Amino acid sequence: MKAENISPFIESVSEVFRNMLENTVETGEPTVDMEDEGVPDIIGVIGLSGTAQGIVALRLPVKTALAVVGKMVGSEFRGVDSSIIDGVGELVNIIAGNAKAKFKGHSISLSLPTVVRGSIYKLNNLSNTVWLTVPFDSVFGPFSVSVCFKPAVVSEKEDLHASAYSR
Amino acid sequence: MQVLIVDDSQIMRKIIIGALKKCGVNDIIEASNGAEAIETLGKQTDIGLVLMDWNMPTMTGIDAVKKIRAANVKTPVVMVTTEAEKEKVIEAIKSGANDYLIKPFSPKDIQSKLEKFLQST
Repeated sequence: MKAENISPFIESVSEVFRNMLENTVETGEPTVDMEDEGVPDIIGVIGLSGTAQGIVALRLPVKTALAVVGKMVGSEFRGVDSSIIDGVGELVNIIAGNAKAKFKGHSISLSLPTVVRGSIYKLNNLSNTVWLTVPFDSVFGPFSVSVCFKPAVVSEKEDLHASAYSR
Repeated sequence: MQVLIVDDSQIMRKIIIGALKKCGVNDIIEASNGAEAIETLGKQTDIGLVLMDWNMPTMTGIDAVKKIRAANVKTPVVMVTTEAEKEKVIEAIKSGANDYLIKPFSPKDIQSKLEKFLQST
C-alpha cells in the first residue's frame, strides 16, 4: 500500500471533526503494521470494494467513543450502549464514505459497518498487505484510523494520490 | 415547517434532529427507509421538506425519490448522504431530488438548506 493513500482518510477525519463535532484533530505520524492487536477499544470496521479494495478501521478507547458520540447527538453517555455502537458505526461509515469520494477515477462501494468491542482481538490483514495506522488526538481523547488496501488493485492506479488532490 | 427525516440509522436521525433544533425547527417526524417515507408523505400533508438518506434497507432513498416524483408529490427532497461522487449527485437531481447534502455536514449546512426551501415555500 502506498503511504500517501492514507491522505484522503486523514482529510476525511479532519472534515468530520470540523463539520460534525465542531473541533479540530491533531494528526500523528502514521505507522505500518503487519497486524493490529487490541487494547480496550471500540472499533468500527468497514470494507471497501470495487476498483480499490480494502478495510478501514476506526479505533477509539471507550472514553473517546463516549465523548465523540455524546457530542454528535448532544447527549451525555456514561457507558457503552447501542447508541455508542451505532454512533461508532456511523462515524466509520462517514469517514470512509467521504474518503472514497476523494479517490478520483475509482468506483468504490462500502460494506455495512461492523463494530467490534473488547480488548482481546487481532485484526489480521490479507497476505502481502499491511495496516497503515494514523493516530489522532482531540479534545474528546485519542483515537486512530487504520487502512489496509489490496495492493494489486491500488498499485494499478499510479495516479491515485495525485487524483485524490486534483479537486 | 415540518421536516421529515428519512435514515435507517437512529443515531444519524438524532444528529440531524439536533442540527434542526439548533436552527429552530422542532416539528420533526422520522422514517427509517424509503417505503416508510412514502407512506408518511401519503398521510402527512404538511411536510415542508424531506431530508433523505441514500443507502437504506427495504427501499433506498433514490428509489423513494423516483416514486415520490412519479406520484406527482412536489415536496422538496434533499439527499443527505455519504455518496459524495459527482455522478451520484447528478443521478439524484435527475431522479427528482431538489438538493444534496454530503455527510459530514455541519449545523450551518443544514441551516442553509432550510433557508433555501423556507424561502421557496
